[in-house]
Amino acid sequence: MESFLSFAKGPLFAVTFTFMILGLLRHVYLQSTQVLQCIRRLSYRKINIGTNLKETVRWMAPVGHIYHHRPFVSTTSFVFHIGLLAVPVFLVDHIALWTGSLGLWWPGLPPLAADILTLVTIAAGIILLGVRVLDRDASALSAPQDYFLLVALVVPFLSGFMAFHPSLNPLTYNAMLLIHVLSAEFAFVLLPTTKLSHCVLFPFDRFSSEIFWRMPAGAGEKVAHELHGEEVRV
Amino acid sequence: MIPAATEQIDERTGTAPAIKREYSYQIENSAVPNRVERFLQAFESILRHTNYKALLDMYARTHTRCGRCASTCQVYQATGDPKDIPCYRTTQILKIYQRYFTFGGWLKGLALGNGYLKESDIDDLIESVYRCTACRRCTLECPMGVDHALITHLGRYILSEMRLQPKALQVSCREQLEGKTGNTSAVPLPALVNNLEFLAEEIEEEKGVKLEFPVDREGVEYVFFCPVSDYLMEAETLMGNALILHAMGEGDNWTIGSKNYDAINYGLFYSDWILERNIERLIDEVRRLKGRTILIGECGHASRSAKQFVPVFGGKQAPRVVNCVELAHQKFKEGKLRFDSSLIKERVTYHDPCNLARSGWIVDQPRELLRAIAKNYVEMTPSGTKNYCCGGGGGTVSIDEMHDFRMEVIGKTKAEQLKATGADIVVAPCANCKKQLREIIDHYDLSMELMGLHDLLYKTVIL
Repeated sequence: MESFLSFAKGPLFAVTFTFMILGLLRHVYLQSTQVLQCIRRLSYRKINIGTNLKETVRWMAPVGHIYHHRPFVSTTSFVFHIGLLAVPVFLVDHIALWTGSLGLWWPGLPPLAADILTLVTIAAGIILLGVRVLDRDASALSAPQDYFLLVALVVPFLSGFMAFHPSLNPLTYNAMLLIHVLSAEFAFVLLPTTKLSHCVLFPFDRFSSEIFWRMPAGAGEKVAHELHGEEVRV
Repeated sequence: MIPAATEQIDERTGTAPAIKREYSYQIENSAVPNRVERFLQAFESILRHTNYKALLDMYARTHTRCGRCASTCQVYQATGDPKDIPCYRTTQILKIYQRYFTFGGWLKGLALGNGYLKESDIDDLIESVYRCTACRRCTLECPMGVDHALITHLGRYILSEMRLQPKALQVSCREQLEGKTGNTSAVPLPALVNNLEFLAEEIEEEKGVKLEFPVDREGVEYVFFCPVSDYLMEAETLMGNALILHAMGEGDNWTIGSKNYDAINYGLFYSDWILERNIERLIDEVRRLKGRTILIGECGHASRSAKQFVPVFGGKQAPRVVNCVELAHQKFKEGKLRFDSSLIKERVTYHDPCNLARSGWIVDQPRELLRAIAKNYVEMTPSGTKNYCCGGGGGTVSIDEMHDFRMEVIGKTKAEQLKATGADIVVAPCANCKKQLREIIDHYDLSMELMGLHDLLYKTVIL
């Protein structure tokens, strides 16, 4: 068990973490080049970068929007995202691991705040899962992947919390820690390979309306001729 | 090229019956054979020549199916049918894209042996894309910013390239682009000129001003295009347009073109090809007349398509595009237009056409004008960029088969919204909205009158 745990914490972590970083960078690179290629095909290339960036930032902190529609679900989702980002990055124990291996350091969350935020994240994840199952709109849209991804994201939080609170842990510390590490590494793999990649790709969507509502000149005619010949009629 | 039509249908994909829904909209000529094959061919060709591939790749990786759009969609709120949720429709198209045009989707399909496009999926898609009014309220509220209306546009475009399109739109576009009259309502030029003379006489009689509706005057600033149906049905709006141009001192500086006097561009609703051809016709007419600015009358989709696409298809030398409400507001602010605020005593409200307001382009301008002429002005709730669609957007108002759906399903929200204002006059500067709202007022027996903005400006302008 211990040797497997040290393998999971060591080489496996390095591999999956690197996979995640490279995978996400690849998405950003490919998406950027693809969008730039599209812009090059256009004759009118003026893009309103300021407004689009402003909108993107506005939606990252959607305080003004949250109460328009489905305030409970939207707030829960917002909180869930904060937890997903803040807990893994600012947990003191995680920072200590980075300090131990690479000498990196940054300020962390006080333990009590981290505990509370972890519990809130778990609760938010479970509520969102409940919404996917019970809410008519969300369940009509949801595919198996949507339920699975939520579970996959909540497990590392739950196992991490239980590992550090022995009274809540039905297994040994090492067993629970192994579940925690492996499930987190699984999430690293999922990030670039599923729609969780929206974590880096979401800013591109805000620009999409402006760019893609402009069609390359002559494209419509090429399509019509290719499908119906030169003598095509409306 | 698409192979010649035969009655053979791919056995593997099956021939499930069309999905009928309450107020179902079935395209008249939907009996196109080999639909699955044709759909994929059209999709492939479109992906090859356009930019949609990058868009679909992006949305496939980011749309999280959160369901937030469901709470904003007027159609879904009225029908309660999950198939009307904007994201559902987007997902339908993304699934086909991923299954047939991405490596991952192909692999998944191969492994699971499913995901094949079926005849029934195409029925479902036809129904789905033409129930959307392309109002874009969902885009405003999508946390990711997914533009479901653009995906709906793409869905309609693919279908139109396999000749699955509403006959009403197709017939109009055919006349406009390939017919003798060159406009969607087949109004011949002599009839138009007669009508314009009659309108000029009316203005002289009512306002004592002798003015003309100039045709083919060269070298002027504004070349005027309105939906051609206005020449038949919205005489007061047109009289308003001419009188306001006269009052702002531009009476000698505008013209109507004899080669193209129709602003309608149904391509915005369903075909990039038609969209571009119509934009080119606008630009050509302005160049022929040596004009400088395209002035669009009271029409939402024509204004948006011209504003958005004239620079896209016209290149760097493309003429400027102005909407008539925008222009009237500008001249009003410059002090060149004055109005008598004592004439309109009724309670007035304003309906924001989606294509003018959703992007924030024309929201405050008409309100400033209305507040100057009507003392008793009230807002609808919601209004401005968030306003409900009239229920006839996206070309649906022209499709007679959709009348009951427009009235009893989508239009219901609008009817309730109108009623709650307690207004006597509802102002809508859009030909599509005007038709739909008139029908709603009639259908729900509302005690209010529908008017164009320029109808009111005509009544109150100080000459």
